[in-house]
Amino acid sequence: MAINLKVASVESREQRLGTIINWDGKASDLADQSGFSRDGCGARCGISGGKVPRICELESPFTQGTGCSEQIVENQASHIRDAVLIHHAPIGCSALHASTSASYRKGLAARDMPVADAISISTNLGDSDMVYGGVEKLRDAIHKAWERHHPKAIFIATSCATGIIGDDVESVTKACEEELGIPVVPVFCEGFKSNHWSSGFDAIQHGILRHIVRKAPRRKQDDLINLFVLSGADVYTDMLGQLGLRANFVVNLATVEGLEQMSEAAASTSFCYTFATYLGAALEREFGVPQIKAPQPFGFAGTDGWLRAIGQALNRQEQVEQYIQREHERIGPRVEKLRTELRGLKGFVVMGPGYAHGIIGILRELGITVEGSVAYHHDPIYDSPDTERDTLGFMLDSYGDIEHLSISNGQSYRFFNMLKRVNPDFIIFRHSALGSVINRLGLPVIPLEADASFPVGYQGLVNIGEEILAVLAQRKFHEDLAAHTTLPYKASWLAEQDPFALARRVGA
Amino acid sequence: MVLVPLKKRAETKPGRSDLAGPIEQARYVCSLGAMQSAAAIPGVIPITHCGPGCVSKQYRSLVYANGYQGGGRSGAGVAPSTNASQREVIFGGGDRLRELIEATLDILDADLFVVVTGCISDLVGDDVGSVVRDFQKRDVPIVYAETGGFRGNNFIGHDVVTRAIIDQLGGEPDHATQRGLVNLWSLLPYQNTFWRGDLAEIKRVLEGIGLKVNVLFGPSSHGLAEWRTIPQAQFNLVLSPWLGLSTARHLEAKYGQPFLHVPVIPIGAKQTGEFLREVGAFAGLPGADVEKFIKAEEKEYYDYLLSFSEFYSERRSAMPTRAAVIGDAAYVLALTKFLVRQLGFIPARQIITDNTPGEHRDAIRDAFRAIDHDVSTEVDFIEDGYNVHTLLRQTDFGHKPPILFGTSWERTITKELDGFLVEVGFPVSHEVVISRSNVGYRGALTLIERIYSTIVSRSG
Repeated sequence: MAINLKVASVESREQRLGTIINWDGKASDLADQSGFSRDGCGARCGISGGKVPRICELESPFTQGTGCSEQIVENQASHIRDAVLIHHAPIGCSALHASTSASYRKGLAARDMPVADAISISTNLGDSDMVYGGVEKLRDAIHKAWERHHPKAIFIATSCATGIIGDDVESVTKACEEELGIPVVPVFCEGFKSNHWSSGFDAIQHGILRHIVRKAPRRKQDDLINLFVLSGADVYTDMLGQLGLRANFVVNLATVEGLEQMSEAAASTSFCYTFATYLGAALEREFGVPQIKAPQPFGFAGTDGWLRAIGQALNRQEQVEQYIQREHERIGPRVEKLRTELRGLKGFVVMGPGYAHGIIGILRELGITVEGSVAYHHDPIYDSPDTERDTLGFMLDSYGDIEHLSISNGQSYRFFNMLKRVNPDFIIFRHSALGSVINRLGLPVIPLEADASFPVGYQGLVNIGEEILAVLAQRKFHEDLAAHTTLPYKASWLAEQDPFALARRVGA
Repeated sequence: MVLVPLKKRAETKPGRSDLAGPIEQARYVCSLGAMQSAAAIPGVIPITHCGPGCVSKQYRSLVYANGYQGGGRSGAGVAPSTNASQREVIFGGGDRLRELIEATLDILDADLFVVVTGCISDLVGDDVGSVVRDFQKRDVPIVYAETGGFRGNNFIGHDVVTRAIIDQLGGEPDHATQRGLVNLWSLLPYQNTFWRGDLAEIKRVLEGIGLKVNVLFGPSSHGLAEWRTIPQAQFNLVLSPWLGLSTARHLEAKYGQPFLHVPVIPIGAKQTGEFLREVGAFAGLPGADVEKFIKAEEKEYYDYLLSFSEFYSERRSAMPTRAAVIGDAAYVLALTKFLVRQLGFIPARQIITDNTPGEHRDAIRDAFRAIDHDVSTEVDFIEDGYNVHTLLRQTDFGHKPPILFGTSWERTITKELDGFLVEVGFPVSHEVVISRSNVGYRGALTLIERIYSTIVSRSG
């Protein structure tokens, strides 16, 4: 569970954090069972040396395709602007290259950067490589990557196939690193090694920490703050600029230099602690860059807390208070109006846990009822045990309980039963494949896929509120569709009240 | 390239694919992608025995990031998956697969389930056949295909899945031949962005001359009911340069069915008329019926073309004249034929990226050399996007901006060449495709609209 940069691969989330992907109940019960003790991080906290507490998990015999760590690594590594990613794998692991490239192009355009393709190369392993090994093809691909693109770093993502045949990826990358004089970073992210794809964030962050971050910082940059973001518009530069701070955006759309200088920053933070947990904790522990101890920047409560913690850590309390006041004055009247316009609505949130906790906060601040939510997984604790960063706890303390909080790694077959329990007016979600399932039920959906920054900060309240008003108009499309849709599920399953009935039957 | 007399040229490249080399910019997926061939049959749902990310990678790429086609009833997150973990790698995944199939029968409604496997199962050596046979013995409609990603691309996987359904479907096949019934083996579902519309148009024109068509995939198919009549067909029609040939040969051996191989998918009146006459003759249809249909279709087609010609003639000098076509063998051949024979483009470069098996390459080269009675051109087989673009940079496109028929991977090079791009193959990220077609009579007109809208929309 510990952070150990001496070894090549990081443990999976379920090993390190006790992460689960199947659970159903009240949010407060989940918080009680989690490692973040509601009375402070005590004996049950895994990080302080004890055993990671295990939450009882439901295991279903029926499962639908989820996602793997390697997908996350692809999305991160090929979005580093002057790096190249190599998939050491059969061609199928590169299937999403075009999609990843399309989102990279959109991401660049959103930040006014020149549009280009994301570069990745498959070692294209076949039958005979499974017998004789693929390391020579890997060596060849690394050299091709260098000759063709002269990147500042090369990332190697391993695959299920190379993990099983036991290719010695480390030796090849080490030799190539010495030969080429740039970081050649092996990222161990075999899909079968973790039941949740968020382990992929940790895998690439581990590689970056070991091979790229400057061990000996050249200078301390007192106004630089590492901001762990996903692709999306830049809502931070202006915000932090008003506080006299600069943002070092990582990992999406960063440069290798941006990654190197992480150890020189004055602090690190993120809008979503789920994906940022490992990098933030390791930078604090191994490089002395403190993490901001605060809630995530969603809604008035979260954003106030986040900014104040930054102000305190970087000695900018006065600027922060002035900024908060200006923003409350700017946003306040519009949010008041939105509360009237949105009165009586019920929302349902489906996404990764940290993000979901933040979005639920926004909806509740807008006066929208939230009785149910799906988080794709749950981390009972993050890599650093600061209770200030307990996103579920903050949500409960600030906005109260959620009756039906389901932990479900996708599994769209459960959505019908889950939604029936709470009858929402709209759904707000991330990870689009699920949207196409949900919209067959006649409910309008708000995807937050393209721009992860959309709900962040004070402006995020307005953005989400306006988006809900817009999506209500789209009910017509969904209702029309639902009236002409047959679902592939058996009537007996659709009539089932308990989305976790199958799992409970097995457990009984 | 240019207009040259019809004669054989020396080989320009060895007949070897670059399969062995690395691939930048994937233009196909792995064998497991053939889960979508199963899902393309109405009423069929794939059950996937593979790692946790495999389904979403194959699905999201082929079905979503490729014209945003969508997967319909069995699409999106429906497909069951074992999401194989460490446990299945170490102890084998047979039991987990058995458990998943049992649970699937409780949850999902399908006429047929097709079990497909990924790298993990095929590498650890799960006996998937024995698991599935147990269910077959219980009369569960289920078949299996081993499609581990390292075995080849989704074209190869498609063959494996097709063969699995034909051979394992069970029941007593009725062999009594239905005259006029034809099994159509053509485009690869989902890989080809326009497969639904194209198959519908091919079916329409074949029915127009009096045939009954087992289209087998897509919304115009009747699903398993159709598959069960495969043995009764008078013949198999392989309408593609190579995909489907092995299936036709298999059916020839299994049921003694003859097959007709037409490598060029017809686009436009000229090619479609020739195609229908060839099929009609092979099927023994009355020539008068065939001619009557062709005449009626041509009347409509050429009425439209005549109107379009006002624009074509007036704006011709501002239009690109040289074209490059990059993609799967089927579309590269069909489009080049149409562009040269009916729109009068000069073929500047043709690149096939589907890793066409070596034994079919010479025949395809010959087809390009005889692209028209007075035009001959060459074709390259390349799968690595970097090499594709290097070759495009070396191509002589003459004095005007070229037009490229390719994929989203050609967006950057098109800008570099100051040309025009029509996205026609996987991956298509900048087009939304629902029922649009590029083939036959109606598809050709739509394609013409697309080509010239691309060009004219840039002006002003």
